[in-house]
Amino acid sequence: MGLKRGVSFGAILLCCLIVSTHGIASGQQKFRIGYADPLTGTFGRDGNLVKDAYNFWAELINAKGGIEVKGKRYPVELTVIDDKSNAAENAKFTEKLITEDKVDLILGGFGSDSVFAGSAVAEKYKYPLISGAASSDKLFERGFKYYFSTLGKATEEVRGCVDIVQILSPKPRTGAIIGSDILFTSLAAEGYKKYAVQDGIEIVHFELFPITLQDYNSILVKVKQKNPDLLFVGSHLMVAMKTVQGMKEIDFSPKMVAFSYGPTVPDFIKNLGKDSEYVVAASEWAPNLPYQDPLFGTAREFNENYYKKYGRYPDYVEAASAAGAYALQAAVQKLGITPPVKEEDRVRLMEELHRQHLMTFYGVVKFGADGANEAHPPVAVQVQNGKLVNVFPKEAAEAVPWYPMKPWKER
Amino acid sequence: MLLFLQSLMNGLLLGGIYAAYSAGFSLIFGVMGVINIFHGEMVMLGAFLTYWLFTLFHVDPFLTLPLSFFSLFLLGYLVQRFVIHRVVDAPPMISYILTFGIHLIIAYTALWVWTADFRTVTTSYSGWNADLGGVIIPYARLATFGLALAVVAGLYFLLNKTEAGRAIQATAQDEELARLMGVNITQTFALTFGLGAAITGVAGSLISTYFVIFPQMGLPYTIIAFCVVVLGGMGYVPGALWGGLILGVVQSLTATYLNAGLSGALTFILLFIVLIVRPAGIAGKGIVD
Repeated sequence: MGLKRGVSFGAILLCCLIVSTHGIASGQQKFRIGYADPLTGTFGRDGNLVKDAYNFWAELINAKGGIEVKGKRYPVELTVIDDKSNAAENAKFTEKLITEDKVDLILGGFGSDSVFAGSAVAEKYKYPLISGAASSDKLFERGFKYYFSTLGKATEEVRGCVDIVQILSPKPRTGAIIGSDILFTSLAAEGYKKYAVQDGIEIVHFELFPITLQDYNSILVKVKQKNPDLLFVGSHLMVAMKTVQGMKEIDFSPKMVAFSYGPTVPDFIKNLGKDSEYVVAASEWAPNLPYQDPLFGTAREFNENYYKKYGRYPDYVEAASAAGAYALQAAVQKLGITPPVKEEDRVRLMEELHRQHLMTFYGVVKFGADGANEAHPPVAVQVQNGKLVNVFPKEAAEAVPWYPMKPWKER
Repeated sequence: MLLFLQSLMNGLLLGGIYAAYSAGFSLIFGVMGVINIFHGEMVMLGAFLTYWLFTLFHVDPFLTLPLSFFSLFLLGYLVQRFVIHRVVDAPPMISYILTFGIHLIIAYTALWVWTADFRTVTTSYSGWNADLGGVIIPYARLATFGLALAVVAGLYFLLNKTEAGRAIQATAQDEELARLMGVNITQTFALTFGLGAAITGVAGSLISTYFVIFPQMGLPYTIIAFCVVVLGGMGYVPGALWGGLILGVVQSLTATYLNAGLSGALTFILLFIVLIVRPAGIAGKGIVD
């Protein structure tokens, strides 16, 4: 009898324990936010930047106790799954986050191919997805309602790199465009062409090559032979690094070389050192721009605090990703949504994001009907004395562009 | 004409690079019949060794070559002696699986330790080149070309003129008979693998001075090495030079005169044709069955 009573007592105690801990758990409600992102493979380096940016935002908000909704604070818990730079995997893991892990909200990872696949899943399950690191035009041509991007479209992103010719003297006349053949970089190449024609630049060569191409010297020799004033490259980090190495090896010195992406990643200057001087790159953000918000502070403060945390300055994609997370947070706060987030909340969230006009440290975030950030002027930056400086448009420039590029032999 | 000469020069130099990192693959296949799938990882390890010595201790990349040689020799020797040797007599599929597993282990350990960052070894003389009447010759690639020639010549000498070399050749021709003649097969295999790894590591060290390196760079190198060795003749070491040069020149001329996108496709078309028309490789001295 004594034993039986002991067992019953134990069972009751256990039940109490379960109920009470459950009570504690539900008392500590939090926003569970997930995203699939390339942490290894071709875009592993870039994908890790996005991860750093989201962690930066989450730590900042959690340090204040979480996202404040109706006077109460809810911490943020981030879950990231590595898609190994494979778009199909990104779709699979996005679905897993939504259906199995049942996260409250999701965010976008790095790269147009991955985000293209992941956002299709998000659309299906009515999860708003804001990306700060994908900008291929195709992403915005699907009639999606739940896809948003703090970046502009890829073809427009490179506009600053081309329009800079308006302030160069003597004015360049000819240009060559090369790029790797994946979605973002090939669109960047199209963008170069579009704006070069508008600026009266004659395109003497246009070629896309496989991203797996090991040796760039042979293609660069062909471009060098045509002697263009300008070289525009549709690139990611690795393509940009290989192009600069190849140009030096075959002694190809156009008057200016511009990249769609790569030089703004800190590794570019760190690795190439002096060889990175004069390189121009597209950017959507620079720390000297006069923007600010209550969470991150001014653009410059964001830049400095980021440096304190990671020992390096942020790339514009990181700024755009952090701003995306902030835009989502602002919409949640405005609507008074609390976790767990239900489907009707997410529908309201989508509608709110379409209405949103938000000032952030990154600039104004205003999503158009297609989800692309409409309120964002593309800028061009240049490596000068080992630092990236904003050189175009003139109103926002920190320095005048160095032009023409000093030939390799004279450096 | 100048464009043609420049493209040809680029192709020859690229071919030299291919040959330098493929010779070890050919040697290992020729003697043991092992298709080594972690070959590219040995290129990567050589490259990273140079990168770290250069970055942390400012050692000139060329001075790291001996260390790269000995470190990779040791790695190759030990892996063969204690791991691969267990499956040397098993069907080829088993050695594919085993070397594929080692490829994954090395690549992912490197990724974990060194992260996915892209790195370059940029020295004060990076990108320096000679101008030969308008044809530009980058010195670092010329050095790799020289290494390829030295490696092939050295291996030829070693295999034909030394005791150890003759033991390796005898083992490759008839393992049983070599054993009867007193050749220590286990030792010979380990030496061969170590040697193959060592020259591959040295090639990797040189490659780090003009290519971008990262932990997962290996597999494309293994694939190219495989193509080079099939073109030149499986198991025929000087064939790596012919295979490399042909591949380099074809790829370069394609990129210059047609389209860079076609150079990859043409590589495999070439491989396909050679396998049908000359299965023993361009020089006709490879192992066919």
